[in-house]
Amino acid sequence: MFAVVLVLGVSAIIFFLINSIGSPIDMLMADRPGVTDQAIAALKAYYHLDRGVIVRYFIWLGSVARGDFGTSITYNQPVGPMLVGFGLETLKLQLPAIFLGLALAVGIAAVAAVRQYSRVDFTVMTGALLGHSLPGFLVGILLILIFAYWLGVFPSYGAYSTLTPLWGSTFADGLWHMVLPLTMLTLFNTATLTLLLRANMVDVLRHDYIMAARASGLPERRVVFGHALRNAIIPVLTYLGILFGLMLATAPVTETVFTWPGAGLLYITAIQQLDYPVIMGETLVVTVMLVLFTLLTDIAYVLIDPRIRLE
Amino acid sequence: MSGADADQIAAALPRRRLPRGPGNLRQGWRRLRRNRTGMLGLLLVVLVVVVAVLAPVIAPYAPNDQSAMLHFGAQAPPSGAHWFGTDRSGYDVLTRTLYGAPTALVVGLGAMLIASFIGVAVGGIAGYLGGAADELLMRGTEFFLVIPVFIVILAVVRLFGVVVIGTPLEGVPFLNLGAIIVLLGLFGWPPLARLARAEFLRLKQMEFVEAARCIGARPRDIIFRHILPNALPSLVVVAALGIGGAILAEAMISFLGFGDPKTVSWGQSLYFNYQVLKVAPWAVLAPGLAIFLTVLGFNLLADGLSDAFNPRLKQ
Repeated sequence: MFAVVLVLGVSAIIFFLINSIGSPIDMLMADRPGVTDQAIAALKAYYHLDRGVIVRYFIWLGSVARGDFGTSITYNQPVGPMLVGFGLETLKLQLPAIFLGLALAVGIAAVAAVRQYSRVDFTVMTGALLGHSLPGFLVGILLILIFAYWLGVFPSYGAYSTLTPLWGSTFADGLWHMVLPLTMLTLFNTATLTLLLRANMVDVLRHDYIMAARASGLPERRVVFGHALRNAIIPVLTYLGILFGLMLATAPVTETVFTWPGAGLLYITAIQQLDYPVIMGETLVVTVMLVLFTLLTDIAYVLIDPRIRLE
Repeated sequence: MSGADADQIAAALPRRRLPRGPGNLRQGWRRLRRNRTGMLGLLLVVLVVVVAVLAPVIAPYAPNDQSAMLHFGAQAPPSGAHWFGTDRSGYDVLTRTLYGAPTALVVGLGAMLIASFIGVAVGGIAGYLGGAADELLMRGTEFFLVIPVFIVILAVVRLFGVVVIGTPLEGVPFLNLGAIIVLLGLFGWPPLARLARAEFLRLKQMEFVEAARCIGARPRDIIFRHILPNALPSLVVVAALGIGGAILAEAMISFLGFGDPKTVSWGQSLYFNYQVLKVAPWAVLAPGLAIFLTVLGFNLLADGLSDAFNPRLKQ
């Protein structure tokens, strides 16, 4: 219930922030002397811009509730299907990056935590701290410079080849284009998740039930990945929820670096072109995703951790 | 009993000097000095500050000197005359990188100053008053926590830049940069508010606050002289992290092309030179490295401060 209020409230704040600044028609028509005043007035009426900002918010909300996000000014296409199409391109990068990052982090953190304060642990921690502090887009630029420009192995931009796909296969071509951006995202996710998991792991491994599990003769692998991991991963859920929730919100930078035709690049062009319906639609979708994954995180806690029960 | 009575009683009592141990600050500094990564962070931050102050003195060229363009000297690789080479507009890369430091610091400090002010006010009031005020303020904070800050700031900065064209505001120097700073501050306070609330809740139940209340100290003094100074160490840690975050955010906003075209900033250099990455990588690598070292410096310093001032957190 609070989630719905949250989405409505946040969408209202964003709507007023963006719409109180100025009329998009005035901005778009500012440098076009050929357009008559009547045409501008007609356009304003068409987009309800002759009404007050509060009325406009409810008109917009009403049409969004009916699944209509309006029509993009620059693409002249309905915004809803556009967001789905571009959004899928974004998820194609972000989802594998999160799952790969988590899988790698679990393995690395377990190895490091079991040998706490060893040379392995120290190397892992330094690497993770560095990977976490390195701004993602700088890593992306470095990857392009080294692997696309100097070594010439991977393509530097796009999700597909423009003319003929590599090796005549669209699938292989798509995968090849994913390698660099996926590496950049996975590096950051792995580093951050490793930092969190290792700290929790070290904590959990000190508990009596781990000693009990070891004493009962369980193989070390079962102790670490069965008993310890299950408890160590619980505090990380919050961060995972944020990662999922922010998938579209962090996309603009990633997709600008790699010229990736996803929701992030769509958003950037929409801002450049003052394409209001796209700007509003995408900010709403991102907000809904953030709230949704916060909610899912709470549910996941209850499911995984029997100590927490809803009141 | 009023505060004045307490002072008279205190004056009448025989003065007995207790041996004073080192204060909180000095203890913290000692612990920080032993923390190697914390000191590395401090070193990096000091370096950025020194560069920011001395940029006009140590920079080999003027920040807007494009004279390299005149003799086809743009995008030239590093040489004796241009240590870091020149970029696509003929600027000396080293000079532009040095002059980016003051911009970065102004953005980081400015945004965090605004955020700290709002955050401590909201969190402090919520924690000190408790009850309905606490509930209301914290629910409000939750709203701000789920705003997709970065993409909203992008849109607002861009629209603001369009709207001011043709108005008297247009001539104001650094208007866009100012807008970015204010927006980063206006959206950056929720973590500080949460921490301030937790600290105020914890501290207001401590014995020394109770003692202050017993001798009749006014709420203003309790808040500003007893609670706030003790909450500061934790708040400074989050603020230091926030400074790094704000600097990174401005770099990304500028990199996407929505920065202030009239200022010299690292993100701006990345934006202008990213298209010539293949030809003139130095023009991208130098500001990129500067961003990385600055953000790393503030992150490590925050880590070090957190270990130094909240030693109980570390096991």
